[in-house]
This record gives sequence, C-alpha cells and structure tokens, in this order.
Amino acid sequence: MVLRFIHSFLFAALAVTSVDADTIDASIISAPGYGELGYQLPEIGSYELPSLGEASNGEVLIAEGERRTLYEIFDDKYVLLAFIYSTCSDVNGCPLTSHVFYKIKSAMKRDNTLANRLKLISLSFDPEVDTPSVMELYGNNFRYAGNAGEWQFVTTASHQSLEPILKSYNQVILRETDSSGRTNVGYSHVLRVFLIDPQKNIRNIYSVDFLHHDLIINDVKTILQQEQKSGEFIKTATVAQQTSQLSKPGDSKLGYELSSYVTDSQDLELRKGEKADLLAIANNPPLGLPAIPVPADNPLSRGKIDLGRKLFYDRRLSLNDTFSCAMCHVPEQGFTSNELAMAVGIEGRSVRRNSPTVYNSAYSNLLFHDGREENLEQQAWGPLLANNEMANPSIGYVLNKIRQIDDYHGLFEAAFDGRGVSMETLGMALASYQRALVSADSPFDRWRYAGDKTAITDSAKRGFEIFTGKAGCVACHSIGEQSALFMDDQLHNTGIGYRESMGIYPDKQQVTVAPGVTIDIDRAIIDQVGEKPATDVGRYEVTQNPHDRWKYKTPSLRNVALTAPYMHNGSLSTLHEVVDFYDQGGVPNELLDPLIRPLGLSPQEKMDLVEFMESLTGSNVDTLVADAFAAPVGDVGKGDPSWVHGSEVEVR
Amino acid sequence: MMRPDKKLWLVLLFTTLSVTMASAATEEIGGDFTLTDHNNATFRLSQLQGKLVLLSFGYTYCPDICPTELAKLALVFDTLKEQSDRLQGVFISLDPGRDTPAVLSDYVGYFNSGFVGLTGSESAVDRVARQYRVKYRRHEKAGGDYSIDHSANLYLIDQMGVLTAVIPYGMPVEHIVDVVRGQLSSNG
Repeated sequence: MVLRFIHSFLFAALAVTSVDADTIDASIISAPGYGELGYQLPEIGSYELPSLGEASNGEVLIAEGERRTLYEIFDDKYVLLAFIYSTCSDVNGCPLTSHVFYKIKSAMKRDNTLANRLKLISLSFDPEVDTPSVMELYGNNFRYAGNAGEWQFVTTASHQSLEPILKSYNQVILRETDSSGRTNVGYSHVLRVFLIDPQKNIRNIYSVDFLHHDLIINDVKTILQQEQKSGEFIKTATVAQQTSQLSKPGDSKLGYELSSYVTDSQDLELRKGEKADLLAIANNPPLGLPAIPVPADNPLSRGKIDLGRKLFYDRRLSLNDTFSCAMCHVPEQGFTSNELAMAVGIEGRSVRRNSPTVYNSAYSNLLFHDGREENLEQQAWGPLLANNEMANPSIGYVLNKIRQIDDYHGLFEAAFDGRGVSMETLGMALASYQRALVSADSPFDRWRYAGDKTAITDSAKRGFEIFTGKAGCVACHSIGEQSALFMDDQLHNTGIGYRESMGIYPDKQQVTVAPGVTIDIDRAIIDQVGEKPATDVGRYEVTQNPHDRWKYKTPSLRNVALTAPYMHNGSLSTLHEVVDFYDQGGVPNELLDPLIRPLGLSPQEKMDLVEFMESLTGSNVDTLVADAFAAPVGDVGKGDPSWVHGSEVEVR
Repeated sequence: MMRPDKKLWLVLLFTTLSVTMASAATEEIGGDFTLTDHNNATFRLSQLQGKLVLLSFGYTYCPDICPTELAKLALVFDTLKEQSDRLQGVFISLDPGRDTPAVLSDYVGYFNSGFVGLTGSESAVDRVARQYRVKYRRHEKAGGDYSIDHSANLYLIDQMGVLTAVIPYGMPVEHIVDVVRGQLSSNG
C-alpha cells in the first residue's frame, strides 16, 4: 500500500521540482503560483495600481531579537509583506508564499533594480513558536545562497503586539483546536500578500489565486516605470511633505501606541528659524487665497506685525508670567494644540473648547467657535482676560504691566504714530501679526488654480469629486473660482455639541497608560476622577435663540492635516474619524443641520477624501513656523514689574 | 477617593501580568535526540557529527507532502552525488504507531538507500517534534483510519550538530542545493 502511494506521488513530487504546470496534479497543488502563469500579463506600465490605503505600522522583532517598527524595516523600499508561520503545512498557504518569494528572490539575482528597490518580508503570526532565533534560522537560508535582494523574516514579541498588526492588515487568524481540545496546534488564515510602496501605500493585495511571481514583478515594474515617468511629481510630492517638516510637536508622541516608543523631544536650542517678511506674505497671499480684508483703521505695517509677534510669544501677558498666546496656538502644531482635545490654560485650568488654528484667521468674520467676536483686534482680549486662559484680572492690569516692561519701551509709539499702549493698540498689534499668517499654495491650489495636473494624486482628485459631489462638503467648506477659503463664515449644528451636552459617551474609553500599553477604562471610573465637562450650548450662548443650540462655526480646511484634533471640542483625532462622522450623518438631534445626512461612502471614497484634505497643506507653512521660532519668547526677568513681586530679595 | 484608585491599580496590574505571560520565554530550537532507526538500532543524532544533516518529519502513510519532500531531498542528494559522503538525510516519523522500523526501511530506501528513517515511542517522537517546533495533529477518519497534519520544514544541522538553517516547505530543489553547497563549502 505504501509503495502504491509512492508511485503515484513521486511523479507529482518531481513535477513540482521542475515547476511544470501541465504535469502538476491539480488535486495536490492548485495554486497558480507553483506553475506558469495561465494568462498573458498586461504590458508593463499599461495599467494603474492606485493606492488601496495606508499600510499600517506596528512593532516587530527582527532575527537579532531587537525591536523595530514595520516602517523601519520597510526601509523606504517597495515591500512585499506576507504573514506566515513556520509550522504551516497547507500547500496553498505559507509554503506557496515561500515558493513565490523564492522565485522573486531569484529574479533579483538577475535584476539589479528589483534587488535594490524591492524587499521581501515574512512576518510570523505565531510569536510563541516563531521566536527571533527561529527567524534567524530562516534568514540563514540566504547566508550562502544568493545575496542579491533582501528577504527578511520577522516575528513579534507577543500576541498582544501582534494583534493590532493583524487587525490593521485585516488578517483573520483562527487558532485551530484538535479533537482533544488542544489549542495552538495550527492556524487557519486567508493568504494575503501585500505590495507596499515607499510612501507606505498598499498598491496590491495578492490572494492564493493571484500570488504569482510574474504578476508581482510585472506590478512592481509598472509602478517603478510610472514613478520614473512622473519623477517630477514625486519630487513635488516630497517637497510638499517637506513644507510641513517643522510642524510637529517639540515632544513628538508619534508612535506612542507602540512599546518601542522612545522619547522624541527636541531641544529648545534646536528650535531655531529664520525671520520671514510677513508683511510681503500678507500683502500678496499665496496661490488660492484672495487679498486679505484689512480694517481701514488698522492698515498692516511691519512695525505692527513685529510688535504683535513679540506680544504673541510673551508669557508676561498672563497673570503669573507663564502663559503666552502661543502656548495654545503652538506654531509647530498648526498654530493649535495637536496634543489636547480641549485647551489647558494658566495653572492647568481646563478650557472647554479646542484651540482653533490661527492660520488664515484674517478671512474670518466670526471668531471663536461660537462666532461671538467679529474681528481679530477685539478677539485678542478674550483669552487675555479669560480666567482659565491667561487670567489677567483687568484690561488696565495688562496695559499697566506692559508699560512697565523695559523691552516694550517705545515700541507701541513707533508702530502707532506716537500712540502708546492702549486697549486698542494692543489688539491692533496682535491682530496684525495673526492676520499675516496666511497660508496656501498647497498642492491642491497648484492643481486647481495653476493647472498643474500632477500636483495632486489621482486619489486626491477623486476625493475632490466626492468633496464637491456625493459628500457635499463644499456646501459649507466653500471653494471659489479664483480662490478658496474652505469655509462659509456660518455656524452649523453637526450633533457633536448635542452629543456632549446629553452626556452620550461609550461605556469604556481606551487609555494609553504607557507606550504600547492601552487599557479600556470604564466611563464610570473616569467620571469619578475627571472634571465634569463644562456646559456648552454653542451659538445659543451668544444669540439666546433656542434654534442656535449646538451650532458652531465652520472652520477652514486649509492646513487641516496639521491641525488635529478636530471639531469644536477636539473629540475626533484624525481626518479618517471626521470623515466617518459625517458619513454616518453626524449625531441626529432635532436641530441637526439639514445638510448633514448619511453619505454611504465606500472605504475607498473615504480614503480619497482624506487624501484630498491632506493636499490642502500650504507651501509656506514652514516659513511661518520658522519665523515663529525666530520670535523672542518674552519671559519674566529682572526689572520686570512682577520680578519677585517687587521685593528686594536677591534671586540666585 | 480610595476606591477608584484601587480599581485602577488592579486594572494596571492585570495588564502588566498578562503582558508578561504572553511573552513567556521559549527554549532554543533543535538539539540532540535518541530514537530507533529503520534497522531497529538505537540512533543518536550526535553520531552523525562531521556530516551535514538534512532532517525532515513526516509519516509513510502521508499522501502528499512527505513523498514530495523526500523526493526533493533525493534529488538534492543526486545533484550533490560527489559530496554525498559528507551528507546525511534523516526522516523522522510522526506516526510511530504505524511506522515500524520495517515499514520505514522500505519507505526511505525507495527514495535514497542512504537515508535514515527514525521512529520510537509516541512520547519520544513527540519530544523531538517539540524540540524542533514541529506541529502535528491526528485526523480521525471513518473506519479507524487516520491521517496526520504536520508541518514540513527541512532542518539543516551542521557538522557540529548545531541547527543552522530551516528551509521553509515550498522552496525548490535548486535552493536546497544552493544552501547545502554553501554550508559544505563554509565548513571546509
């Protein structure tokens, strides 16, 4: 009996080794990846592979046992990522991946471009068996055989660090149990291999029936060819990203959800920049913006802008000399606070709304989320006097203090034709600086208003179609023929405020207590220790009209990628969450704006919308942030009015 | 105020514990073992020191994977004929119940007369399987028959008895030949 088996299957076995599709017994080996491709491939470059979404990051262990993020090991290359486990025996599962990867690795020996640009990564989903030393034993396959091209085997530290990776790549893994109930004898999973580009976009996903080396190489060549063709585009795209290089918190928490997170704080000394000609920028706003409206009684001047800039970064403008305007409107955080849903003012006092960005505030006739102020000159006094912001007891207190600070001596007089510091001139100076922070000439602007067809990606173009069409975002985030403000200077009820007023929260909230350690905490526990949210009824507070309850101002979407978190209470962390929120139709309430309705967007449409919004980052952002870095930071010093509270005590 | 604090600490503690448990340390893979060979003699892996060992696991009733693997292995040996005295193929049965030394003797001999077939008590075989992180599972069939699902990697053990590489199942003969050649030349 044994020999009969051997006779019939030895034939099949030999067939496999010679990889001849015609002779392979279909009942044993059915995946096309083992044989010749059964169809003619389209010509390289004759088709498109649009992004299918972002490839997620995660924490893995390399063969040396060290922690790395997936992005680190992607190494800015094109990547083929497969999920495997070393004890997998389904012929059309992991072994198929090995076979196909081997074929590609062999092709790399003959093809330098492929070897240099593509990397193969096998990630185990069985951390218990596949320890780093096992991964090393796999890697040893290529110690002597074929150095060209890289095939890296990685694993994870535990199921806990693996889980989010599997989830984000949509890899459903079922642990199999045998008849005696023993778990962990095997896994069943749906084979998927991901082709990821250096920008971390997933460009193709191969299932069993499509996992074939010829097809994959064809795809990679196609993308490479298109990349080369649009070399200029790639360059602009990189430049576009570079324009916001300075826009990140000085103590960046990027990747904080991973246990490999290391503190990434920027030395204050390194926070250096070059002063910009803000007046020139304000007088000639970048592509996509109209001329800025300037009040007749406060024309822009270099002196006023400089003075406003000095005031904006001066901590002495607060009651206890600690808190400047810039501490909520942080320049490198999109002139807002990326790390706080709602602002925190002097002495850690909670503010009930999200810090709005200062970018392009010149164009707004409604200031504050409830639109209660009408121009920047007057608006400036709001935070100066708010008890939970800069907490000055009175207007006179502020003016009197500035009059006594030596380094302000003569500045107001010089900027305002001999007028000294007053309620009016202080507001005018601060308004002038903020008014000058105009930002546009984004990739979108270059596409829309300068006819540069390659300025934005196809996905962003599709996103724009959805923005103006199916999703109807443009109804409030307006776009004109010559310029776009992406806002309507109106207030709307989206239900966010209603939800908060009604105390509608999920039962549990995820809290990241340390890098890589996230726990679900009962809402009840948070309520016991947390401050009760302040009442917030939106526009109603200004008009006293019941119909205006929970209405908030439409923010501009310019630089929106830099101004997270979103909504008037910062309750949405990412643009994806915002799109999901509107896709659901907001939060139903009797006053919900009729423009808000369920949209029925597909996952691709949502991604396109986000891609579109990400194309709205202005080209001069870094210029403005660098200019902010160059501004003096006003701090209390000897001779200042509140220096050791007027006492004669020598401070060491 | 004490109550919620305590609760929170418990949550934290639990999280810490579960993290520790999930990443429990695992022993090294590979190593020496003793089983019974197809001539019914006691066999120790270490007696092969000085040779490069190509080790695979399976069972003789196996309908597909094992003969494929062994046939590949036989091809590797044919290709490297001139160095065959420095190589040894070993096949360990995961089905000691049916795979007696006599059955194994017929089986491995069919592929290559030099191959060693190994079996042993169920627990002895299981121990070796665990040592090499081989997973296998019995599937009962109607009529008392059964098959065994198992992983099918090829293990390369160097002249000093150290596991040096694991070749994933699915790699073609040419690759195995490359790896074996590389290993042979690196060790003189």
